Amino acid sequence: MDIDLDEKEISILQLSDSFFPTGLYATSSGLEALSQTKKLKSKDIFQFITMQLQQVMGPSDCTAMGYAYESCKKKDIVSLLRADESLYYMKLIEETRIASTRSGSQLLKCVSTFAKNNKILKDYQIAIAKGKATGVYAVSLGVVTSCLDIPKKKAGMMLLYGLAVSIVGAALRLGIVQHFEGQKIIHELGPVILHAVLENIDRPLSSMWQFAPSLDILQMKHEALSSKMFIT
Amino acid sequence: MGSRVPRVGIGGPVGSGKTMLIEQIVPILSTKGYKVSIISNDVISKEDAQRMRQNLATDKGLMPEELVIGVATGGCPHTAVREDPSINLSVVEELESKYPFLDLILIESGGDNITTTFSPALADYFIYIIDVTGGDKYPRKRGLGIENCDLLVINKIDIAPYVGADLKIMERDAKIVRGSKPTLFVNSKTGKGVNTVVSFIIKDVLFDALPKSVNSKEIE
Repeated sequence: MDIDLDEKEISILQLSDSFFPTGLYATSSGLEALSQTKKLKSKDIFQFITMQLQQVMGPSDCTAMGYAYESCKKKDIVSLLRADESLYYMKLIEETRIASTRSGSQLLKCVSTFAKNNKILKDYQIAIAKGKATGVYAVSLGVVTSCLDIPKKKAGMMLLYGLAVSIVGAALRLGIVQHFEGQKIIHELGPVILHAVLENIDRPLSSMWQFAPSLDILQMKHEALSSKMFIT
Repeated sequence: MGSRVPRVGIGGPVGSGKTMLIEQIVPILSTKGYKVSIISNDVISKEDAQRMRQNLATDKGLMPEELVIGVATGGCPHTAVREDPSINLSVVEELESKYPFLDLILIESGGDNITTTFSPALADYFIYIIDVTGGDKYPRKRGLGIENCDLLVINKIDIAPYVGADLKIMERDAKIVRGSKPTLFVNSKTGKGVNTVVSFIIKDVLFDALPKSVNSKEIE
Protein backbone atom coordinates (compact mmCIF):
# COMPACT_ATOMS: atom_id res chain seq x y z
CA MET A 1 0.00 0.00 0.00
CA ASP A 2 1.32 3.43 -0.90
CA ILE A 3 0.94 5.39 2.35
CA ASP A 4 1.77 8.80 0.81
CA LEU A 5 -0.85 8.40 -1.87
CA ASP A 6 -3.44 7.39 0.69
CA GLU A 7 -2.74 10.45 2.81
CA LYS A 8 -3.14 12.71 -0.21
CA GLU A 9 -6.42 11.01 -1.06
CA ILE A 10 -7.63 11.75 2.46
CA SER A 11 -6.67 15.42 2.00
CA ILE A 12 -8.66 15.46 -1.25
CA LEU A 13 -11.69 14.01 0.49
CA GLN A 14 -11.33 16.37 3.45
CA LEU A 15 -11.04 19.58 1.44
CA SER A 16 -13.80 18.54 -0.99
CA ASP A 17 -16.27 17.66 1.73
CA SER A 18 -19.14 20.12 2.15
CA PHE A 19 -18.46 19.69 5.89
CA PHE A 20 -15.14 21.53 5.39
CA PRO A 21 -15.68 25.06 6.74
CA THR A 22 -15.45 27.57 3.90
CA GLY A 23 -18.94 29.08 3.95
CA LEU A 24 -19.69 28.03 0.36
CA TYR A 25 -23.17 26.90 1.47
CA ALA A 26 -24.21 30.53 1.70
CA THR A 27 -23.69 31.28 -1.99
CA SER A 28 -25.88 30.31 -4.93
CA SER A 29 -23.68 31.64 -7.78
CA GLY A 30 -26.64 33.44 -9.31
CA LEU A 31 -29.14 30.62 -8.98
CA GLU A 32 -31.38 32.43 -6.49
CA ALA A 33 -31.44 35.48 -8.76
CA LEU A 34 -32.53 33.28 -11.63
CA SER A 35 -35.07 31.38 -9.54
CA GLN A 36 -36.76 34.64 -8.60
CA THR A 37 -37.69 35.12 -12.24
CA LYS A 38 -40.00 32.07 -11.69
CA LYS A 39 -38.89 30.66 -15.02
CA LEU A 40 -36.38 28.18 -13.67
CA LYS A 41 -37.29 24.46 -13.69
CA SER A 42 -35.39 21.49 -12.25
CA LYS A 43 -34.36 20.42 -15.75
CA ASP A 44 -32.54 23.75 -16.17
CA ILE A 45 -30.15 23.21 -13.24
CA PHE A 46 -27.77 20.96 -15.16
CA GLN A 47 -27.56 23.52 -17.96
CA PHE A 48 -27.11 26.39 -15.52
CA ILE A 49 -24.17 24.73 -13.75
CA THR A 50 -22.67 23.65 -17.09
CA MET A 51 -22.79 27.27 -18.22
CA GLN A 52 -21.15 28.40 -14.97
CA LEU A 53 -18.39 25.82 -15.37
CA GLN A 54 -17.76 26.53 -19.04
CA GLN A 55 -18.25 30.30 -19.09
CA VAL A 56 -17.23 31.47 -15.63
CA MET A 57 -15.58 29.12 -13.13
CA GLY A 58 -13.56 27.08 -15.62
CA PRO A 59 -11.83 29.82 -17.61
CA SER A 60 -11.45 32.19 -14.62
CA ASP A 61 -11.34 30.40 -11.24
CA CYS A 62 -9.78 27.17 -12.49
CA THR A 63 -7.18 29.05 -14.55
CA ALA A 64 -6.23 31.25 -11.60
CA MET A 65 -6.08 28.19 -9.37
CA GLY A 66 -3.73 26.35 -11.73
CA TYR A 67 -1.46 29.40 -11.95
CA ALA A 68 -1.47 29.84 -8.18
CA TYR A 69 -0.68 26.15 -7.73
CA GLU A 70 2.38 26.39 -9.99
CA SER A 71 3.49 29.64 -8.36
CA CYS A 72 3.52 27.87 -5.00
CA LYS A 73 5.52 24.97 -6.39
CA LYS A 74 8.07 27.53 -7.67
CA LYS A 75 7.82 29.43 -4.36
CA ASP A 76 7.10 32.53 -6.44
CA ILE A 77 5.03 34.88 -4.29
CA VAL A 78 5.01 37.60 -6.97
CA SER A 79 3.29 35.28 -9.47
CA LEU A 80 0.93 34.10 -6.76
CA LEU A 81 -0.15 37.64 -5.98
CA ARG A 82 -0.67 38.24 -9.71
CA ALA A 83 -3.12 35.32 -9.84
CA ASP A 84 -4.86 36.65 -6.74
CA GLU A 85 -5.24 40.14 -8.16
CA SER A 86 -6.32 38.95 -11.62
CA LEU A 87 -9.08 36.72 -10.31
CA TYR A 88 -10.31 39.29 -7.79
CA TYR A 89 -10.78 41.92 -10.47
CA MET A 90 -12.45 39.45 -12.80
CA LYS A 91 -15.30 38.95 -10.33
CA LEU A 92 -17.77 41.63 -11.33
CA ILE A 93 -20.33 41.10 -8.56
CA GLU A 94 -19.27 42.82 -5.36
CA GLU A 95 -20.99 40.35 -3.02
CA THR A 96 -19.44 37.39 -4.85
CA ARG A 97 -16.03 39.02 -4.76
CA ILE A 98 -16.19 39.65 -1.01
CA ALA A 99 -17.65 36.19 -0.24
CA SER A 100 -14.87 34.57 -2.25
CA THR A 101 -12.15 36.36 -0.28
CA ARG A 102 -13.82 35.47 3.02
CA SER A 103 -14.09 31.79 2.07
CA GLY A 104 -10.50 31.77 0.83
CA SER A 105 -8.99 33.40 3.90
CA GLN A 106 -10.83 30.99 6.21
CA LEU A 107 -9.68 28.04 4.06
CA LEU A 108 -6.06 29.19 4.48
CA LYS A 109 -6.51 29.73 8.18
CA CYS A 110 -8.04 26.29 8.67
CA VAL A 111 -5.39 24.44 6.63
CA SER A 112 -2.57 26.32 8.34
CA THR A 113 -3.63 24.67 11.61
CA PHE A 114 -2.48 21.30 10.28
CA ALA A 115 -0.11 22.16 7.39
CA LYS A 116 2.41 23.96 9.54
CA ASN A 117 5.75 25.52 8.61
CA ASN A 118 4.85 26.11 4.98
CA LYS A 119 6.54 29.33 3.91
CA ILE A 120 4.48 30.18 0.84
CA LEU A 121 1.24 29.57 2.75
CA LYS A 122 2.46 31.86 5.53
CA ASP A 123 3.70 34.50 3.08
CA TYR A 124 0.33 34.52 1.29
CA GLN A 125 -1.51 34.96 4.58
CA ILE A 126 0.82 37.80 5.55
CA ALA A 127 0.19 39.45 2.18
CA ILE A 128 -3.58 39.21 2.82
CA ALA A 129 -3.20 40.66 6.32
CA LYS A 130 -1.20 43.57 4.88
CA GLY A 131 -3.79 44.21 2.16
CA LYS A 132 -1.42 43.16 -0.63
CA ALA A 133 -3.58 40.15 -1.57
CA THR A 134 -7.28 39.33 -1.27
CA GLY A 135 -7.32 35.57 -0.54
CA VAL A 136 -9.87 34.93 -3.27
CA TYR A 137 -11.12 31.35 -2.90
CA ALA A 138 -9.80 29.59 -6.03
CA VAL A 139 -6.30 31.00 -5.51
CA SER A 140 -6.36 30.03 -1.84
CA LEU A 141 -7.37 26.51 -2.84
CA GLY A 142 -4.49 26.45 -5.33
CA VAL A 143 -2.14 27.41 -2.48
CA VAL A 144 -3.34 24.78 0.01
CA THR A 145 -3.56 21.94 -2.52
CA SER A 146 -0.03 22.73 -3.66
CA CYS A 147 1.16 22.80 -0.05
CA LEU A 148 -0.53 19.46 0.63
CA ASP A 149 1.01 17.96 -2.54
CA ILE A 150 -2.35 17.15 -4.05
CA PRO A 151 -1.91 16.67 -7.84
CA LYS A 152 -2.87 19.81 -9.76
CA LYS A 153 -5.58 18.30 -11.95
CA LYS A 154 -7.20 16.70 -8.95
CA ALA A 155 -7.07 20.09 -7.24
CA GLY A 156 -8.88 21.55 -10.25
CA MET A 157 -11.56 18.88 -9.95
CA MET A 158 -11.92 19.64 -6.24
CA LEU A 159 -12.48 23.31 -7.04
CA LEU A 160 -15.09 22.84 -9.75
CA TYR A 161 -16.78 19.90 -8.01
CA GLY A 162 -17.08 21.98 -4.82
CA LEU A 163 -18.56 24.96 -6.64
CA ALA A 164 -20.98 22.74 -8.58
CA VAL A 165 -22.13 21.00 -5.39
CA SER A 166 -22.68 24.36 -3.69
CA ILE A 167 -25.05 25.34 -6.53
CA VAL A 168 -26.91 22.02 -6.34
CA GLY A 169 -27.19 22.53 -2.57
CA ALA A 170 -28.68 25.96 -3.20
CA ALA A 171 -31.14 24.47 -5.71
CA LEU A 172 -32.20 21.94 -3.09
CA ARG A 173 -32.80 24.60 -0.43
CA LEU A 174 -34.62 26.83 -2.91
CA GLY A 175 -36.94 23.92 -3.63
CA ILE A 176 -36.02 23.72 -7.30
CA VAL A 177 -34.80 20.11 -7.15
CA GLN A 178 -35.31 17.25 -4.74
CA HIS A 179 -32.47 15.28 -3.14
CA PHE A 180 -32.20 12.38 -5.62
CA GLU A 181 -32.41 14.75 -8.58
CA GLY A 182 -29.56 16.76 -7.04
CA GLN A 183 -27.30 13.71 -6.85
CA LYS A 184 -28.19 12.72 -10.42
CA ILE A 185 -27.20 16.19 -11.59
CA ILE A 186 -23.88 16.01 -9.71
CA HIS A 187 -23.18 12.62 -11.29
CA GLU A 188 -24.01 13.86 -14.79
CA LEU A 189 -21.78 16.89 -14.31
CA GLY A 190 -18.73 14.63 -14.02
CA PRO A 191 -17.65 14.85 -17.69
CA VAL A 192 -18.36 18.60 -17.76
CA ILE A 193 -16.16 19.16 -14.70
CA LEU A 194 -13.41 16.97 -16.10
CA HIS A 195 -13.45 18.78 -19.44
CA ALA A 196 -13.45 22.21 -17.79
CA VAL A 197 -10.43 21.24 -15.68
CA LEU A 198 -8.43 19.86 -18.61
CA GLU A 199 -9.26 22.87 -20.74
CA ASN A 200 -8.37 25.51 -18.17
CA ILE A 201 -5.97 24.31 -15.50
CA ASP A 202 -2.85 25.03 -17.61
CA ARG A 203 -4.25 28.10 -19.37
CA PRO A 204 -1.87 31.09 -19.14
CA LEU A 205 -3.05 33.73 -16.71
CA SER A 206 -3.03 36.27 -19.54
CA SER A 207 -5.70 34.18 -21.32
CA MET A 208 -8.02 33.97 -18.33
CA TRP A 209 -11.58 35.00 -19.16
CA GLN A 210 -15.22 34.77 -18.14
CA PHE A 211 -18.35 35.75 -20.02
CA ALA A 212 -21.90 35.55 -18.68
CA PRO A 213 -23.24 39.11 -19.00
CA SER A 214 -26.94 38.30 -18.53
CA LEU A 215 -26.18 36.47 -15.32
CA ASP A 216 -23.89 39.28 -14.14
CA ILE A 217 -26.67 41.83 -14.54
CA LEU A 218 -29.20 39.57 -12.84
CA GLN A 219 -26.83 39.05 -9.90
CA MET A 220 -26.17 42.77 -9.58
CA LYS A 221 -29.91 43.29 -9.22
CA HIS A 222 -30.14 40.36 -6.81
CA GLU A 223 -27.43 41.61 -4.44
CA ALA A 224 -29.48 44.74 -3.79
CA LEU A 225 -32.64 42.83 -2.82
CA SER A 226 -33.69 42.97 0.83
CA SER A 227 -35.34 39.54 0.81
CA LYS A 228 -33.08 36.66 -0.15
CA MET A 229 -31.45 33.56 1.33
CA PHE A 230 -28.08 33.58 -0.37
CA ILE A 231 -25.07 35.73 -1.00
CA THR A 232 -25.94 36.26 -4.63
CA MET B 1 -4.55 41.84 12.23
CA GLY B 2 -6.25 43.73 15.09
CA SER B 3 -6.48 42.54 18.67
CA ARG B 4 -9.34 40.25 19.61
CA VAL B 5 -12.60 41.99 20.48
CA PRO B 6 -14.97 40.17 22.90
CA ARG B 7 -18.01 38.72 21.16
CA VAL B 8 -21.51 37.92 22.35
CA GLY B 9 -23.73 35.59 20.32
CA ILE B 10 -27.48 36.17 20.57
CA GLY B 11 -29.67 33.35 19.28
CA GLY B 12 -33.29 32.36 19.48
CA PRO B 13 -36.38 31.45 17.49
CA VAL B 14 -37.92 33.74 14.87
CA GLY B 15 -39.85 36.56 16.55
CA SER B 16 -38.45 35.95 20.05
CA GLY B 17 -37.01 39.46 20.20
CA LYS B 18 -33.31 39.11 19.33
CA THR B 19 -33.21 42.31 17.29
CA MET B 20 -35.21 44.31 19.82
CA LEU B 21 -33.00 43.12 22.67
CA ILE B 22 -29.96 44.37 20.74
CA GLU B 23 -31.74 47.66 20.09
CA GLN B 24 -32.17 48.02 23.85
CA ILE B 25 -28.69 46.82 24.82
CA VAL B 26 -26.65 49.02 22.49
CA PRO B 27 -27.89 52.42 23.73
CA ILE B 28 -27.17 51.42 27.34
CA LEU B 29 -23.65 50.24 26.46
CA SER B 30 -23.17 53.35 24.36
CA THR B 31 -24.15 55.62 27.24
CA LYS B 32 -21.48 53.92 29.32
CA GLY B 33 -18.93 54.67 26.57
CA TYR B 34 -18.59 51.19 25.03
CA LYS B 35 -18.16 51.02 21.25
CA VAL B 36 -20.19 48.18 19.76
CA SER B 37 -20.56 46.58 16.35
CA ILE B 38 -23.41 44.30 15.26
CA ILE B 39 -23.35 41.36 12.85
CA SER B 40 -26.84 40.22 11.91
CA ASN B 41 -27.23 36.82 10.26
CA ASP B 42 -30.12 36.78 7.82
CA VAL B 43 -32.31 33.83 6.96
CA ILE B 44 -34.34 35.25 4.13
CA SER B 45 -34.15 38.95 4.64
CA LYS B 46 -31.82 41.86 5.40
CA GLU B 47 -34.63 43.54 7.33
CA ASP B 48 -33.11 43.13 10.81
CA ALA B 49 -29.73 44.55 9.80
CA GLN B 50 -31.40 47.40 7.94
CA ARG B 51 -33.67 48.17 10.90
CA MET B 52 -30.81 48.23 13.41
CA ARG B 53 -28.68 50.32 11.07
CA GLN B 54 -31.51 52.81 10.72
CA ASN B 55 -32.45 52.90 14.43
CA LEU B 56 -29.06 52.73 16.10
CA ALA B 57 -26.73 54.31 13.54
CA THR B 58 -28.71 56.65 11.28
CA ASP B 59 -31.35 57.91 13.73
CA LYS B 60 -29.59 57.75 17.10
CA GLY B 61 -26.01 58.16 15.86
CA LEU B 62 -24.73 55.54 18.32
CA MET B 63 -22.36 53.96 15.81
CA PRO B 64 -21.21 54.45 12.22
CA GLU B 65 -23.59 52.75 9.76
CA GLU B 66 -20.84 50.42 8.53
CA LEU B 67 -20.66 48.84 11.99
CA VAL B 68 -24.01 47.11 11.42
CA ILE B 69 -23.36 44.26 9.00
CA GLY B 70 -25.82 41.77 7.50
CA VAL B 71 -24.60 38.26 6.63
CA ALA B 72 -26.55 35.95 4.29
CA THR B 73 -26.70 32.36 5.54
CA GLY B 74 -28.06 30.47 2.55
CA GLY B 75 -31.02 29.33 4.61
CA CYS B 76 -28.71 27.67 7.16
CA PRO B 77 -28.71 29.99 10.20
CA HIS B 78 -27.42 27.40 12.66
CA THR B 79 -24.61 26.34 10.29
CA ALA B 80 -23.43 29.94 10.00
CA VAL B 81 -22.89 30.29 13.75
CA ARG B 82 -21.98 26.73 14.69
CA GLU B 83 -20.68 24.07 12.24
CA ASP B 84 -19.18 26.44 9.69
CA PRO B 85 -18.85 29.97 11.07
CA SER B 86 -16.28 30.89 8.37
CA ILE B 87 -18.15 33.87 6.97
CA ASN B 88 -18.97 35.27 10.41
CA LEU B 89 -15.39 34.78 11.59
CA SER B 90 -14.12 36.51 8.50
CA VAL B 91 -16.40 39.50 9.15
CA VAL B 92 -15.32 39.58 12.82
CA GLU B 93 -11.65 39.60 11.80
CA GLU B 94 -12.29 42.41 9.33
CA LEU B 95 -13.97 44.44 12.08
CA GLU B 96 -11.12 43.78 14.51
CA SER B 97 -8.63 44.89 11.92
CA LYS B 98 -10.47 48.00 10.69
CA TYR B 99 -11.94 49.20 14.00
CA PRO B 100 -9.47 48.50 16.83
CA PHE B 101 -11.43 50.88 19.08
CA LEU B 102 -14.32 48.40 19.37
CA ASP B 103 -15.12 47.10 22.85
CA LEU B 104 -17.67 44.48 21.86
CA ILE B 105 -19.16 42.68 18.86
CA LEU B 106 -22.75 41.43 19.06
CA ILE B 107 -23.54 38.56 16.69
CA GLU B 108 -27.25 37.95 16.11
CA SER B 109 -28.07 34.52 14.71
CA GLY B 110 -30.80 34.05 12.17
CA GLY B 111 -34.09 32.95 13.71
CA ASP B 112 -33.75 29.25 14.38
CA ASN B 113 -34.96 26.41 16.58
CA ILE B 114 -34.11 25.35 20.12
CA THR B 115 -30.99 23.46 19.05
CA THR B 116 -29.11 26.65 18.15
CA THR B 117 -25.74 27.14 19.78
CA PHE B 118 -22.75 29.29 18.89
CA SER B 119 -19.32 27.91 18.06
CA PRO B 120 -16.96 28.87 20.89
CA ALA B 121 -14.57 29.97 18.14
CA LEU B 122 -17.12 32.61 17.15
CA ALA B 123 -18.74 33.79 20.39
CA ASP B 124 -17.24 34.09 23.87
CA TYR B 125 -20.66 34.33 25.48
CA PHE B 126 -24.00 33.01 24.33
CA ILE B 127 -27.37 34.59 25.11
CA TYR B 128 -30.41 32.55 24.10
CA ILE B 129 -33.74 34.35 24.00
CA ILE B 130 -37.21 32.82 23.98
CA ASP B 131 -40.57 34.41 24.65
CA VAL B 132 -43.65 33.48 26.64
CA THR B 133 -45.88 33.00 23.59
CA GLY B 134 -44.43 29.52 23.08
CA GLY B 135 -46.03 28.59 26.42
CA ASP B 136 -44.56 27.99 29.86
CA LYS B 137 -43.44 24.51 28.78
CA TYR B 138 -40.63 26.02 26.69
CA PRO B 139 -37.73 25.78 29.22
CA ARG B 140 -38.49 22.20 30.23
CA LYS B 141 -38.48 21.11 26.57
CA ARG B 142 -34.74 21.72 26.80
CA GLY B 143 -32.75 21.91 23.57
CA LEU B 144 -29.10 22.88 23.26
CA GLY B 145 -29.82 26.60 23.15
CA ILE B 146 -31.78 26.67 26.41
CA GLU B 147 -29.49 24.23 28.19
CA ASN B 148 -26.08 25.47 27.09
CA CYS B 149 -26.38 29.24 26.79
CA ASP B 150 -24.55 31.40 29.31
CA LEU B 151 -27.63 33.54 29.84
CA LEU B 152 -31.23 32.56 29.11
CA VAL B 153 -33.51 35.52 28.47
CA ILE B 154 -37.27 35.07 28.56
CA ASN B 155 -38.94 37.93 26.73
CA LYS B 156 -42.42 39.47 26.40
CA ILE B 157 -43.30 38.87 30.06
CA ASP B 158 -46.00 41.56 29.85
CA ILE B 159 -48.21 39.31 27.73
CA ALA B 160 -47.72 36.15 29.81
CA PRO B 161 -51.20 36.39 31.41
CA TYR B 162 -52.83 36.67 27.98
CA VAL B 163 -51.21 33.53 26.60
CA GLY B 164 -51.59 31.47 29.76
CA ALA B 165 -47.87 31.31 30.52
CA ASP B 166 -46.92 31.00 34.18
CA LEU B 167 -43.58 32.75 34.74
CA LYS B 168 -43.02 30.85 38.00
CA ILE B 169 -43.21 27.56 36.14
CA MET B 170 -40.75 28.87 33.55
CA GLU B 171 -38.37 30.02 36.27
CA ARG B 172 -38.62 26.69 38.12
CA ASP B 173 -38.04 24.62 34.97
CA ALA B 174 -35.17 26.81 33.80
CA LYS B 175 -33.43 26.17 37.12
CA ILE B 176 -33.95 22.43 36.74
CA VAL B 177 -32.62 22.42 33.18
CA ARG B 178 -29.82 24.96 33.59
CA GLY B 179 -28.63 24.46 37.14
CA SER B 180 -26.85 27.55 38.44
CA LYS B 181 -26.65 29.34 35.09
CA PRO B 182 -28.71 32.56 35.06
CA THR B 183 -32.16 33.15 33.56
CA LEU B 184 -33.62 36.64 33.21
CA PHE B 185 -37.17 37.79 32.51
CA VAL B 186 -37.42 40.88 30.32
CA ASN B 187 -39.75 43.00 28.29
CA SER B 188 -37.63 44.22 25.40
CA LYS B 189 -40.44 46.47 24.22
CA THR B 190 -40.28 48.64 27.36
CA GLY B 191 -36.71 47.85 28.34
CA LYS B 192 -37.71 46.17 31.61
CA GLY B 193 -34.90 43.87 32.75
CA VAL B 194 -32.53 44.89 29.97
CA ASN B 195 -30.18 46.76 32.31
CA THR B 196 -29.54 43.46 34.05
CA VAL B 197 -28.68 41.81 30.71
CA VAL B 198 -26.15 44.60 30.12
CA SER B 199 -24.74 44.10 33.63
CA PHE B 200 -24.12 40.43 32.83
CA ILE B 201 -22.33 41.39 29.60
CA ILE B 202 -20.12 43.94 31.34
CA LYS B 203 -19.30 41.57 34.19
CA ASP B 204 -18.97 38.21 32.40
CA VAL B 205 -17.75 39.26 28.94
CA LEU B 206 -15.88 42.52 29.47
CA PHE B 207 -14.77 41.58 33.01
CA ASP B 208 -15.75 45.04 34.21
CA ALA B 209 -13.14 46.64 31.93
CA LEU B 210 -13.63 50.31 31.18
CA PRO B 211 -14.32 51.28 27.57
CA LYS B 212 -11.15 51.43 25.44
CA SER B 213 -11.77 55.12 24.78
CA VAL B 214 -11.65 55.84 28.54
CA ASN B 215 -8.52 53.73 28.99
CA SER B 216 -6.69 55.49 26.17
CA LYS B 217 -7.60 58.92 27.61
CA GLU B 218 -6.24 57.86 31.01
CA ILE B 219 -2.97 56.79 29.38
CA GLU B 220 -2.70 60.14 27.59
